[in-house]
Amino acid sequence: MPRPFRLRRRPTPTSFLPTGAWIVVLVGVVSSAVFLSWPPTERPGREFWIFSNQRLTDYESAIADWNRDHPDARDQINITLLHLSALERRMMAAATADAPIADLVEGERDLVARVFAGPIEEVGFVDLTDRIAAENLLDQFNAPSLSPWISRGRIFGLPHDVHPCLLGYRSDIVEAAGIDVSQIETWDDFYRVLGPLIADLDGDGRPDRYLLNYWENQRDQTQALLLQAGSQFFDDAGHVTVDHALNARVLARLVTWVTGPNRFCVDAPEFTAGGDQMRLEGTVIASIMPDWLAGTWKNYIPGLAGKVKLMRLPAWEPGGRRTSVWGGTCLSITTTAPDPEKSWAFAKHLYFSPQVAEGLFRSTATISPVKAMWSRPFYHEPDPFFSGQKVGARYIREAPFVPERASSPFNTMVMDRLMVVLIDLKAHALEHQRFDPIALEPEARRLLAAAQADLEARVGRNVLYRPPPSP
Amino acid sequence: MKPTRLHAAWAPWVFTAPFLLLFLLFTAWPLLQSLVLAFQQTFGPRSTRFVGFDNFAFLLRDPLFWQAVRNTVIYTAGAIFVQLPVALGLALLLNRPQLRGRALFRLIFFSPSLVGLVFVGLMFHLMFQKHTGLINAGLHTLFSSWDPEFAWLDAYIMPSLIIASVWLYAGFNMIYFLAALQNVNRELMEAAEIDGAGPWARFRHVVLPEIRPVAGFVVLLSVIGSFQLFELPWVLLNNSGGPGNNGLTIVMYLFQTGFLTGDLGYASAIGWVLGLILVGAAWAQARAARKEISG
Repeated sequence: MPRPFRLRRRPTPTSFLPTGAWIVVLVGVVSSAVFLSWPPTERPGREFWIFSNQRLTDYESAIADWNRDHPDARDQINITLLHLSALERRMMAAATADAPIADLVEGERDLVARVFAGPIEEVGFVDLTDRIAAENLLDQFNAPSLSPWISRGRIFGLPHDVHPCLLGYRSDIVEAAGIDVSQIETWDDFYRVLGPLIADLDGDGRPDRYLLNYWENQRDQTQALLLQAGSQFFDDAGHVTVDHALNARVLARLVTWVTGPNRFCVDAPEFTAGGDQMRLEGTVIASIMPDWLAGTWKNYIPGLAGKVKLMRLPAWEPGGRRTSVWGGTCLSITTTAPDPEKSWAFAKHLYFSPQVAEGLFRSTATISPVKAMWSRPFYHEPDPFFSGQKVGARYIREAPFVPERASSPFNTMVMDRLMVVLIDLKAHALEHQRFDPIALEPEARRLLAAAQADLEARVGRNVLYRPPPSP
Repeated sequence: MKPTRLHAAWAPWVFTAPFLLLFLLFTAWPLLQSLVLAFQQTFGPRSTRFVGFDNFAFLLRDPLFWQAVRNTVIYTAGAIFVQLPVALGLALLLNRPQLRGRALFRLIFFSPSLVGLVFVGLMFHLMFQKHTGLINAGLHTLFSSWDPEFAWLDAYIMPSLIIASVWLYAGFNMIYFLAALQNVNRELMEAAEIDGAGPWARFRHVVLPEIRPVAGFVVLLSVIGSFQLFELPWVLLNNSGGPGNNGLTIVMYLFQTGFLTGDLGYASAIGWVLGLILVGAAWAQARAARKEISG
C-alpha cells in the first residue's frame, strides 16, 4: 500500500536551534572576526623600556639626536616608562614564557640577577662580552660597576651607574654642637664623637635624637654595611658563603646599634613622609647615602637645603673601606631584538653621552661609571643643598673603591635570609640582655650556620642553574 | 530527529558555550598546566626538567612554607575569633529596633568594605608607622608612657594585620549576621522571654541556633578568604613578608616563589597544597552542616 503523501515543511534555521542560541552563535562569530581582524598596534622601531621617570627626561635629547641621525623607521627608538614592578613582571614573563619584550631594557640589579637563574644559553640578554672586548670598552668603565652584570664570566649589560655610598649628615646640628667630623674614621669613632648628640629633648625620658638612620628591617642599608665590611655572599663557583666569621662580627655589631645601652640608630625609612619628617626635625643625624639618594633628598626634601653635608662612610676597622654600594642599573639588549648591532650602537650612544651623564647628575646626582666623564666640570661644581660641597667629586673619589657584587640569581634569597638572622640575633640579645658584640658572635655564627644550610638546600634545588666551574 | 529534539540536545550547549570556552581556556587549562608544572622545574619554555615529587617533598620540609602556614592559621584564627564576634556584636547592636539612626550606623560600619584592599593596606601602613604614625603618635599624646617606637609592623605584624582586617571586614560580615538576625523567629523569642529567659539565655538558646547556618557559611567564607590573604599584608608590609617573614602568608609565599624567584614548579606545588587545604575546609564545613541538619 503506497504511503500517503505528506507535505513536509521546509527546514528553517530555527528548526535546529532556538533564536536565542543563534544570537549567541552570531555574537561569537562576529566578535571573533572583529578580534582577529583588529590590526596590532605595533610601533615601528626599537622599543626601549626604563623604570625611572627622571631618566625619561634625561634621555630625551640623546634619543632625539639618535632618531634624527637614523631616519629609517626600523631604527627609531621608542622609549616607554614602566613602573619597576611592571618591568619586573614583563621581564619574568619574557624569561619564563617567551612573552614579548622590548629590544632594550634598563634593569635594576636584583631583577636582572633573576634572569640568570637558568642555563647561560637561556639568558634572555645578548652576551656583550666579545663586543666590549673588541672595542676596548672594559677599561673605560669603573671596574666594580660591571660585576653585577657578569654571570658565569659573561657580561650581559652595560653599567648605568656606580652608586658609591657616603654619609649624609645634619651639618647644622653637628656644627652647632662644636663637633668636628674629621675625627671620625671608624664606626666606633662615629658613636664616640657624635654620641653627645643623642638627647632627650622633650623630657619624656626617651631620646628624641639618634645618630644614624638604620634598623634591623632595612635590607638595603644592611647589605651596604655588610659589603663595606668585605662580606661576599657567594664564592667564585657561585656557592653560598654566608656562614663566615666576618658576617657574624658585622651582624653582632649591627644588633648593638639598634638595641641595648649603646643604641644609636633609629628607623627613619627613606621614601616615606614619616622618615622625611624625622630627617627634617633632626630626629636622625646621619644616613647612609648613595649618590642617587643625595639626588632624591635634593628633589624631595628641599627643607634640608644648606643643612646637610656629606662625609666618607666610617670604616669598620681603622684603615678599612670608607664607602659601599647601594643599588644599580644596567642596559641590556634582549635576544629577541632584531639587528642587535643597531641596539648595541644605541646603547653606546646613550651611555657614553656627556650630555646624558650631565643630565643624570644634575637631576639625580648619579655619577657615570664611564671614567672619562669624571673630569667633566659639572661633577666639580659646589652644591648649595650640601652646604657648598662638590658632591660629584666626592662620590667620584669613592667610585673605584666600591665593593664588587655577585650577580647570583639567589642574591635576594640570601639577603632575605640574612635579615632573618639579624632579627633573630636581636631577639636573642634582648632575651638574654646581652649587648656586647663579642658576646653575641657565637650566637650569630650559630644562626648563620643554620641559614647557610637552609640556603644551600634552596639553591641546590635549582638543577637548571649551573654555576661556573671552580677556578 | 524532530526539530524540538534537536533544540533540546544542542540549545544548552550553545547557551553555555561562551562560559565553557572561557572556563576551559582560562581556568581548566591553566589548572592542568599548573599540575604539570608542580612536577617540574622550569626556566622558560626550553628549560624544563621533570622532578617527580621533589617540589612537594621540599615543601614538606621547607621551614618558610610552614612559617607561612602558621602565619595564615593565626590570621584565620583572628578572623574567626576576633573579626566574626565583632561583626556579630555590631549586628546585634544595629538590629535593635529602638536604636535611632540604625541605617546610618549600618552604612558607617559597612563603608570600609567599599574601599579596596590596597587602599586599606596603604592607610594602615601609614597609621602603624613608628614615631609619625597616627596610632603611636596619638597614644603617645594621650599616655606619655606609650613608646612612640612601638613596632606595630615589626614585632606585632599579625595583631596589626588582624586589626586592619577587623576594620575592613567586620562591617561586611555584619550584613550577613543582620540578615540572619532579622529572620529569627519572633514567636520563639517572645516565648523564651515569657518563660523568663534573660538576654544571654535568649541569645544562646534561641538566636544562636537560628543563625547557625548563616554563621557556618560566614565562617567558611572567612576561612577561605583568610587562606587566600595576599594584598593586605603585601601592601601593609611594603611588598615583603615583613621583618623575619612574620607576616608571610601562604599566597604571598606562592607569589614570591613563582613570580619573584621564578620557581614556577615549586609555586604550583604550593598552590595545589593550598587548594587541597581549602577543599578540606569546605568539606569539613559541609559535613558539619549535614550532621547538624540530620540531628
